[in-house]
Amino acid sequence: MIRFKNVHKWFGKIHVLNDIQLEVGAGEVLVVCGPSGSGKSTLIRCINRLEPIQKGELIVDGMEVHDHKTNMRKLRAEIGFVFQQFNLYPHMTALENVTLAPMKVRKISKKEAISAGMEVMEKVGLGDKIDAYPAQLSGGQQQRVAIARGLCMRPRIMLFDEPTSALDPEMINEVLEVMKALAREGMTMVVVTHEMGFAKEVAHRVAIMDVGQVIEIAPPHEFFSNPKSERTRLFLSKILSH
Amino acid sequence: MWKNYLTRLVQSLPFFITGLWMTIAVSAISLAAGTLIGFFLGILRTRPNRLFRYLIGAWVDVIRGTPFLVQIFIVFFILPEFGIHLDAFPAAILALTNLGACFICEIVAAGIRSVPWGQKEAASSSGLTEWQQLRYVVMPQAMRTILPSLVGQYVLLIKDSSVVSVIGVTDVTRVGWLTVQRIPHGLMVFGLVGLLYFIICYPLIRLSNLLEKKMAKGTR
Repeated sequence: MIRFKNVHKWFGKIHVLNDIQLEVGAGEVLVVCGPSGSGKSTLIRCINRLEPIQKGELIVDGMEVHDHKTNMRKLRAEIGFVFQQFNLYPHMTALENVTLAPMKVRKISKKEAISAGMEVMEKVGLGDKIDAYPAQLSGGQQQRVAIARGLCMRPRIMLFDEPTSALDPEMINEVLEVMKALAREGMTMVVVTHEMGFAKEVAHRVAIMDVGQVIEIAPPHEFFSNPKSERTRLFLSKILSH
Repeated sequence: MWKNYLTRLVQSLPFFITGLWMTIAVSAISLAAGTLIGFFLGILRTRPNRLFRYLIGAWVDVIRGTPFLVQIFIVFFILPEFGIHLDAFPAAILALTNLGACFICEIVAAGIRSVPWGQKEAASSSGLTEWQQLRYVVMPQAMRTILPSLVGQYVLLIKDSSVVSVIGVTDVTRVGWLTVQRIPHGLMVFGLVGLLYFIICYPLIRLSNLLEKKMAKGTR
């Protein structure tokens, strides 16, 4: 579904992605962790070309993302992206946030969009909040609307860039529960997060990045119980100790 | 004596009204055209294309950095040397539209830049075209910043329109100059001229203040 082949990216002189090799299969849930500045956000942002790559090949859902001639709009419609800061449209109600892209990109009728929008809002547990504006919702609720906004496009892939990092602790679980349900339904997901409980429970594989490289990638039971590299052990001891 | 002046001034009121109409006509046409062009340039200015960005930026700086009086002289007296002959009215419209477009371009560009980058990222991630991103996500939010300044700018431009009197457009300012030759009471004559500008501008000033308060309150 997603294949990185010798992918490189630089921000000025900083080598943010250094020879990335990575494959994510259909229906797979991949969790990416690592210290800040390791390139994990950049990695996930490359998948729908919010950041262009400079070298190597990146193929997503059969489309060549590295080729600047590729029609990214078509691909982006198939990929839901959930941001750390939610990025809901503040001038629209929750339902309008969710139905905008289906109507404008998929060109479905308003009626269909609304019924699809209600469905996904129910799914994230916010069926009673469709007319609320983002400012009237808590952080956890806003992030669930953001997930619903992605889901309403019926995407083939969902990307999550630190979806719980901007949330108060008591709101993290409501968002993770929605994501777990999604994972169990067989959605292809790439999740940048430090929520190791989530990784243990639903990830098929966990990858750790450091200085622009994937230094280890393994199924969760292996990754947590028997990490191969010293760097992984060090990182895990830091984030699992609290 | 001044009673006599006042009577004669009241008798010339129709002349002032004609001038007022000219001021309104010049301002309204220039503001409408300037707003359209200003929005267009302001949006272009925030696009990634560097050529447009620099060209527009340079032009806006030149216009903002030179007196409007000089600009209108150039349009009316210098352009004919290059074979472009304009009557006073179209020359006034051209110069004022250009001035308005430049100021409005800056207001629009600043408004667009005030919308957090994440909004554009979210919109483009969902597959919206550039135009749709602008139309449905960026501009509605930018308008909150743009509207109050835009109306405030209208007030400034209406007052700047008085400069077109120097090339012979008989707007309310020129009516003042002509009248004061017959009724030599400057305070009274130009007091009336000032009052007429104030009558047009004051509602706009109030509107601008109102919009500012309203936009500051809204959802966010």
